[in-house]
Amino acid sequence: MACGSLPFARNRMEHAAIFGWALLWFAFWGVVGGVITPQIYARKDLEISQASFGGAVIGAALGPFSLLPLWIATPKIDNRMIGVAGALVVGIFITAFALADPDNLCVANGEFVISQLANGIVIGIIYGLMALGLTLIFSILGVVSFAHGEFYMIGGMVTYFMTAEWLPGAPPIVGILASCVVTFSIGYIFERIFLRPLGSGQIERPGEYAILVTFGLAFFLQYFTQALASANPVKAQRFFPFPRTEIPLDSGSLLRTTPGNITILDTISIPNPRFTAALLALIMLAALLWFLYHTWTGKALRAVSQDRQAAAVAGINPNSMNTLAFSLGAMLAGLSGASLVQVFSWLPQVGIPAAARSFVIIVLGGMGSLPGAFLGGLVVGIVEAAGTGCVPDATRAAAYIPAYGMVILTLVLLLKPTGLFGREL
Amino acid sequence: MSRAVLYRVAGLVAVVILLALPLASAELDGLGPLVFNSYFMHLAITAFFYAILASSWSLLAGYAGQFSFGHMAFMAIGGYTTGLIGKFIRFTTAPTELCADIPLPGNWWLVILNARRVGTIDETCIDMAKTQTLPSGALIIFPPVWASIAMGLVMGATFGLLVGWLVLRLRSAYLALFTIGFSEILRAALSAEIPITEGQSGLELLPLFPSGINLFGQTFSDTSKIPPYYAMLLLFLLVMLLMTWLASSRFGLFIRAIREDEEAAAALGVNIVRYKVLVFVITSALAAAAGALQAHYIGIITPNILIILQMSLVIAMAVIGGLENIYAASVGALVITFALELLRTNIAIGPIRIDMSLWRLVFFGLLLMLTLRFQRNGLLFPLLERLNRAGIAEETVAMRDASN
Amino acid sequence: MIPSLFPSKRRLQQRRAQKFWAVAALALLTLIFAACAPQPATVGDTTQEEAAAEPQPTAAPAAEEAMAPIKIGALTPLSAPGAVVGGEAMRDAMLIAADEINAQGGLLGRPVELIIVDTEGLPERGTAVTERLINQDAVVAIGGGYHSSVGVAAKEVAHDNGVPVVFAETWNDTITSVQYPEVFRIAPLNSEVSAVDVKFIQWLRDEVGTRLEKIVILTENTDYGIPAAEETTRLLGELGIEAVTFGVDIGAQDFAGIIERVKAESPDMIMTLATGEASYNFTQQAADAGLGPQDVPTLCNQVSLVSDAFWTNVPDGNFCFVRRVGLPTQLYNDVAINFLAEYQARTGKEAAESYALAAYDSIMIIAQAITEAGSTNPTEIIAALENITHEGSLGTITFPVNQNNTPEQAGLDPKWWHQFPDPAITIVQYQEEGQNSVSATVVYPQTYQTADPVIVGQ
Repeated sequence: MACGSLPFARNRMEHAAIFGWALLWFAFWGVVGGVITPQIYARKDLEISQASFGGAVIGAALGPFSLLPLWIATPKIDNRMIGVAGALVVGIFITAFALADPDNLCVANGEFVISQLANGIVIGIIYGLMALGLTLIFSILGVVSFAHGEFYMIGGMVTYFMTAEWLPGAPPIVGILASCVVTFSIGYIFERIFLRPLGSGQIERPGEYAILVTFGLAFFLQYFTQALASANPVKAQRFFPFPRTEIPLDSGSLLRTTPGNITILDTISIPNPRFTAALLALIMLAALLWFLYHTWTGKALRAVSQDRQAAAVAGINPNSMNTLAFSLGAMLAGLSGASLVQVFSWLPQVGIPAAARSFVIIVLGGMGSLPGAFLGGLVVGIVEAAGTGCVPDATRAAAYIPAYGMVILTLVLLLKPTGLFGREL
Repeated sequence: MSRAVLYRVAGLVAVVILLALPLASAELDGLGPLVFNSYFMHLAITAFFYAILASSWSLLAGYAGQFSFGHMAFMAIGGYTTGLIGKFIRFTTAPTELCADIPLPGNWWLVILNARRVGTIDETCIDMAKTQTLPSGALIIFPPVWASIAMGLVMGATFGLLVGWLVLRLRSAYLALFTIGFSEILRAALSAEIPITEGQSGLELLPLFPSGINLFGQTFSDTSKIPPYYAMLLLFLLVMLLMTWLASSRFGLFIRAIREDEEAAAALGVNIVRYKVLVFVITSALAAAAGALQAHYIGIITPNILIILQMSLVIAMAVIGGLENIYAASVGALVITFALELLRTNIAIGPIRIDMSLWRLVFFGLLLMLTLRFQRNGLLFPLLERLNRAGIAEETVAMRDASN
Repeated sequence: MIPSLFPSKRRLQQRRAQKFWAVAALALLTLIFAACAPQPATVGDTTQEEAAAEPQPTAAPAAEEAMAPIKIGALTPLSAPGAVVGGEAMRDAMLIAADEINAQGGLLGRPVELIIVDTEGLPERGTAVTERLINQDAVVAIGGGYHSSVGVAAKEVAHDNGVPVVFAETWNDTITSVQYPEVFRIAPLNSEVSAVDVKFIQWLRDEVGTRLEKIVILTENTDYGIPAAEETTRLLGELGIEAVTFGVDIGAQDFAGIIERVKAESPDMIMTLATGEASYNFTQQAADAGLGPQDVPTLCNQVSLVSDAFWTNVPDGNFCFVRRVGLPTQLYNDVAINFLAEYQARTGKEAAESYALAAYDSIMIIAQAITEAGSTNPTEIIAALENITHEGSLGTITFPVNQNNTPEQAGLDPKWWHQFPDPAITIVQYQEEGQNSVSATVVYPQTYQTADPVIVGQ
């Protein structure tokens, strides 16, 4: 990145060369491993499905020291081996960064690291909830909804207008429920009118149609909301202000809360709205899991996602499952919006970056995988927190927040397009 | 009259009308009642620009079935490439010693300028060199506009190749997912790297014809609308010719085969990834060329051309015109560009005032969805088809008469 | 032909067509719905036809040519991504100006027609609409202007066509420092605003006795934020105060990571040079994290003056310091008081924003210049503007650095070219939750002070 001539202090790494060489090492040996390993395995008539990805990771980890034994012994590349190599890569990356920039807060200040990590996890849970909706839709309908960000935006808008404008003083739960109802209904109506023909074969090339029609919905919903609600930023009051309490410990305190903040062990400080949002997200997640695993409808949904034909034979109507999945997915996006409208100022445009992030998450987790979406959410949350916290150039660290997700997306597409838990494509 | 001839005649008439349009412009005192002012000319140029984007997008999406939401990003790459070349590169007849000088054959130097401090109008190294190091009489030349536009096209193709190679091995949803992110990142980078791109305040570019031009024996200044009109029209016609040729060649057959059934096409021996990447590179390069030309015409380019709204409009144009036909898509763009401008006027019905600058977008969003659902071939394509069918009827009648 | 095949197909098509028209009707319904949607509370007469006044009945019918209205252009952002709230306020203010001129009999015996165009906050759009104003609508001068980047682009068109423009709210220094004869500005200069901020900080340290050694600046990555941050850093450095700058994208939402970094710097004061919702997001999230205006002295961004939006988005924003351009209401002159009354009546707002006052003045100055020039010739209007003394709502407006007194002759920086030299700038502080920015306490400069500042976290 060009650094221009901004005369701000503490912009650069002290020993940038170390970090640069480490990246070069990863890139070079990763490419070597990724390209040559499958050829060697193919020549020996071995399984090559993991060879390219495994070779790249193992190569990036220790370079020739791990590649040569791999090529000579050609063991079966399993997930454990890749996991160990991946951990090594991350370890080397962090070490190189620490050596390159010893004064960086991310290296020198433990409390800072823990706080950033906590922030990343908390926001990651909410990202996960939103991506869960997207991946649910994909697993049942086989459609990526490009209007997911708009459902998120509408969820927040409805919550705000419910609790602040239409019924001032209403408890937040009213707003959250209203946002669920609204996003679920929009999802339901849209699916019935626009996506129902997908299942019946009325539409040629359903995949393309679905991409465009959901994109059209996004365009429509965004400007419809703006026309009704105007483009002024709004924000809901925090849902549950904490009481002022303190659980003392010998030195300092175990837990201290103020209306706007919760501090654990004097180091991890989490703002109240984020904390409640993550808590809400976790409750929703539990409810969703219960629904999917303990009710007939939920089991039917999972059955359809695994095998459409078989489910139809078993008496499940796939069309109604489509409608349910799309509405439910839209509602999950709405819910994450509803829980975040007390954290961020809300505008008709807030859905765009959120949707782009959800795309990254579901590709990372594996399209259609529920645990993958949740884990992906956490990873993206942590990477974004690390990026904003650790990038030495303070004037750029926050300007490139969406770029951190894109780096992940590019790496996943390069190395393992099926994602963490994806099915084969 | 046979159908093909009818089409050609209709196309020719349209081209002649478009070519003759500037004769009625206010700048040339117009033709009788048909006086088009410079704002109309501006709209016409913009309409051609969108027509190039919409029709090339329809080649990518409608013919090859690859959905990119990054078409505007490639357009921006074209515009920024030519803009940055104009901002940072000069040719001189003597070394400046203050800038980065690269000697060229024939006693010329390629000079790379330094970036200015943000928000200032400080002198660049070439300004200082003019008074300090350059001998008097040394020439300083801007890179020719056409060459930097060509570089914009090349950069568009290069980025298209990189993105296409990364993503097109996978299912089409991945392309859509990746390109949305790609254009967001590009927007963030273009706004953040202010010393280079000037950020939100926009990168200024030379006019298309910096020192005016002589056309049909008449001299036009650099602010005249007529030369850019012809430049954009020429590019539009060239693009349409190229795409017509592509669509009717083996290439067009292959990409349609890929759209219909990738596995079947692969089984028949079509190298599907290569063809998908190729069509992506070509359409990206066309978008970049249009962007470069438009940037020079407007004179300024900002990261805001990358907001999703712009991409949505191009898609709406292609879809409403007719996604699976490049002509229908381009006509859709021409119609919608003017419609969007006409619909800008606020409507007052009694005491109620409708803010059309917003509601027209709501309306187009809805129209986009409804067209996709109920008129998959677009709203304008069926009209063209009807023309076509009329041709067939005549043909049949003529044949019957002949046989009688 | 097999007749049985076709009807069924046609019926299918018919059914599809019916469906299509049914949904097209639905589309129409949305449009009607649009008509019923709540409209922003602004004056009703915004179309250009309505803005033009009735022709004066006293004029002789023979002078039809002379009766044609004098057209004045107005640049303002009325749709996203522009700042619509500011744009609508400016539009209303400029319409008040046009109505006032027409009520007093117009200019040179002719009515005035104000042609308002939407810049969308985009430079390329600004170029296009300015060109449209000049070449299609044939305006004699242009007022308004909100976004700096639009002003930078529009000034080129005005210069190419030799049409005078009086910018009301574009702060970027380069707009005047290029010294175009056509370009005038009554908004403050970005660099001068930074100087006021720093003087205030110096006053806090030296006179009030606040501990101020390190300041964190949060800036947006734009041509407004970056130069302002640089200038402020430089000026603070001269005072021996360390400044650390963090940059954010204008669309940024999540500041948790940045706030942790700010916290680690343990600043004595925080200054926000990010506009729009980013400013609100940052301030409230900082407050949640225990680093808000109630914990550390905070100089909030001027967008915090929009009190409703501020308190909705930053409920914990009490004790924010905010820089305000324009005189405090208690020092309003007659022009400003009259304008305020009309503005309140038309918009229902409690107070007039500084950019509304400036927009009003930009049109009134052009009107006075046309009267003094006695002509609508742009060159003569420019000449009149150079020598003008206008009693406006912002005070007595002059452009002392001009062709007769160039920056070189005056020994001044070129940025002072055609620049209104002393727009009043004050620092106010919210001292009660939910307070309106108009009644907020003026803390600096001391000549305008209404109460002492509340310094938190010492």
